[in-house]
Amino acid sequence: MPACTRVRWAVVSATSVALMATGCGGGGGSGSGPSDASKTFTYQSSEPQNPLQPANANETGGGRIVQNLFKGLADYDPSNGKLRMQAADKIDSSDAQTYNVTLKSGWTFHDGTAVTAKSFVDAWNWAANTKNNQINSSWFADIQGYSDVHPSSGNPTTDTMSGLTVQDDTHFTIKLNNKVSYFPYKLGYVAFSPLPEGFYKDPAGYGQKPVGNGPYQFVSWDHNSQVVTKTFANYQGVDKPKNGGVVFKMYTTAEAAYADLQSNNLDVMDQVPPSALANYKNDLGDRAIDAPQGAIQNVGFTLYQPDWQGADKAKVRQGLSMAIDRNTITKTVLQGSRAPASAWVAEGVEGYKAGTCGDFCTYNVDKAKQLIQEGGGVPGNSLKITYNADGGHKEWVDAVCNSIRQATGVNCAGDPKTDFKTARAAITGHQINGMFRTGWVQDYPLNANFLADVYRTGAASNDTGYSSPEFDKLASEADQAASIQDTATGYQKAEEQLANDMPAIPLWYYRTNSGYSTKVQNVAFDSFGNPAWTQVEVKS
Amino acid sequence: MPDLIEKNVPAQGAAGSAEPKPEKPRSLGLDAWHDLRKRPVFIISAALIVLLVAFAIAPSLFTSVDPRAGDLQHHYLTKPNYLHFFQADWFGYDGQGRSIYARMIYGARASVVVGICVTAGVTVLGGLAGMAAGYYGGWVDTVISRVTDMFFGIPLLLGALVVLNAFTTRTVWSVVFALVALGWTQMTRVMRGSVITVKQSDFVTAARALGAGTGRIMFKHILPNAIAPVIVVATIALGGYIATEATLSFLGIGLQDPTISWGIDINSAQKVIRTAPFALFFPAGMLSVTVLAFIMLGDAVRDALDPKLR
Repeated sequence: MPACTRVRWAVVSATSVALMATGCGGGGGSGSGPSDASKTFTYQSSEPQNPLQPANANETGGGRIVQNLFKGLADYDPSNGKLRMQAADKIDSSDAQTYNVTLKSGWTFHDGTAVTAKSFVDAWNWAANTKNNQINSSWFADIQGYSDVHPSSGNPTTDTMSGLTVQDDTHFTIKLNNKVSYFPYKLGYVAFSPLPEGFYKDPAGYGQKPVGNGPYQFVSWDHNSQVVTKTFANYQGVDKPKNGGVVFKMYTTAEAAYADLQSNNLDVMDQVPPSALANYKNDLGDRAIDAPQGAIQNVGFTLYQPDWQGADKAKVRQGLSMAIDRNTITKTVLQGSRAPASAWVAEGVEGYKAGTCGDFCTYNVDKAKQLIQEGGGVPGNSLKITYNADGGHKEWVDAVCNSIRQATGVNCAGDPKTDFKTARAAITGHQINGMFRTGWVQDYPLNANFLADVYRTGAASNDTGYSSPEFDKLASEADQAASIQDTATGYQKAEEQLANDMPAIPLWYYRTNSGYSTKVQNVAFDSFGNPAWTQVEVKS
Repeated sequence: MPDLIEKNVPAQGAAGSAEPKPEKPRSLGLDAWHDLRKRPVFIISAALIVLLVAFAIAPSLFTSVDPRAGDLQHHYLTKPNYLHFFQADWFGYDGQGRSIYARMIYGARASVVVGICVTAGVTVLGGLAGMAAGYYGGWVDTVISRVTDMFFGIPLLLGALVVLNAFTTRTVWSVVFALVALGWTQMTRVMRGSVITVKQSDFVTAARALGAGTGRIMFKHILPNAIAPVIVVATIALGGYIATEATLSFLGIGLQDPTISWGIDINSAQKVIRTAPFALFFPAGMLSVTVLAFIMLGDAVRDALDPKLR
């Protein structure tokens, strides 16, 4: 703890003895002391892009605030990512297509009105409607009748989705277009939140002064400065707040936030700036956070190009994967902000199984050379990794290329595109031939999200053009499984198929590198990279 | 004006006085050379440039290390060992575990090639345009001058960013192309002014009276007498082109891997400046020294070529 040694030199003066006692006593911040449940804490945030409506926040700035003000049927347990019931008492289904929702009683909005089945159904219908222009409206696409309220062009023919039926105040049913066994997992997303009656009279005004049903209620929004919330006394959820509220302080740079954290002007950080990665664990001691995040970095292959088709080429891809020294690169170039990957699903996600990639994700120069040779070599013995130059990817792309070149003699080089948009256009427009940077950040912490949405034939995010009848078959079987547990296991089987075909090389998992001030304790981060807000304790 | 005024410098030099020789008439160029080789600024800058060109032509003479070979496991940001002269770890290793010394040597090639080719390109292109504008005058001058004005309105760096963005893979030659396409106007202006002055000289009238053709007057009589200011401007600008290339590479829009450029290295080093300042210092220092050498050379050449400054 360098902070302690620094103070020790000034120990002669009485004031600095006091400083030392507060700054270093009890081992920094981890020592649990008495806490005061009425005190608020500050969190590093950014100005929300859109009004604070639950289905209109897919950026982190607004998303974080909204998910504290609203609470849906279910959410994810911050400690293990598993689905847990909140406003719903139970969500059950006999055929994975029609879901019966039973609500708990006693839930109210911050304005005192009751949360009923109608609050949910009306809110979902409103959010899915094209007219209301909500960013996350596509989340409702599984529900029957979505195409009526959200046609791909033109005006909606109706205002309600036929799949949603209110039975009584505490019961409603959801009918889906297809069987989706993990649909309840999607319901944990904040877009599925309920809205109070008053919302529909003035949606824009509510976006500035939201009234929700979550653990915190809105107090004030001082634009570009802060959003203040306080604990909602009548919150019925399983995660009752242990603090008095959250103040979201807007920062434009992570460096400024980090400086504030070190001087105790900020309580909990989002993510330490890259410039502090090398030192933050020394700076913060045991107040530093290093937790897994539900996100993975891959390099994909352009399987749609003739160069990469044919069964032999899978061997070449496996060989290239073995030529990447993940351990060293994550430790050096990435400064420990990532963890080496051994599967296609990120760590800490329901259904994550380490080692699915097996030996193919282990650095082995001899085996790499042998596999590439057996597969007929890399076309032209040269390889390009296309990436966007504006995302800080250059260092690791160069390192991966160096690793491949030195291990196998394949002439690998990075191919930077000016920005994310240009790179995505080149990738989705099939204008490249070789490898490209890709990755996946979880929408919900279930392995199906990492697999079905990326590797299934024709999936929206299937950038590689991978099409495996075997994988597709296993994925649809998993979709129709009886329980989420079975779905997760089914997808694990499908994931094994990826090791045979290697459409994309898993590189590493993201990690949350953060920290907190000496004023708070019990800070833990979930797989979305968010702290478990309600569990944060403010020292008295 | 060497064709007319032949300087008869009395041979008073220490070596010359011992054995008086019939003094050969000296041209302006020869005169300038005699003047130059006595100047320390010229000697230093010339020596630096010779060294740089040697780096560019035969980098393997100076280091046997592959500048692209990185060993992250053992050499990630390893500190320099200043006593290991000319060895891989002399200046330490960068964030990819590559020898900074080797990259410094190999980086000279891109800079020197860009500098020399762009200067040659702008001198030829701009010189010809300027000569045509100055010699013919009239509508030719008007057209060329207006085009020059238009190009002058585009900032070199901004224009190069736009042009280079159009290339999917950028090599030394695309950077040369962009800089020549945007930089030739500077030379046009200098050449035009110089040609207009020389055109009015008596020897041009004399040559014309003797029946010399346009081509002969332009290239035999006017060009040798009008080229001096262009050479001076070009030499000074050369350093600027090298700096521009490094700037473009630094911004990620200039040279690309596998080409080795100091600009790229400076860019990657700035992210680790807190832990490894040496990774930034050496490529940046090398760039400064190179630019300085060319600017100093340009200054010395200008002093030597301009009789008024003697």
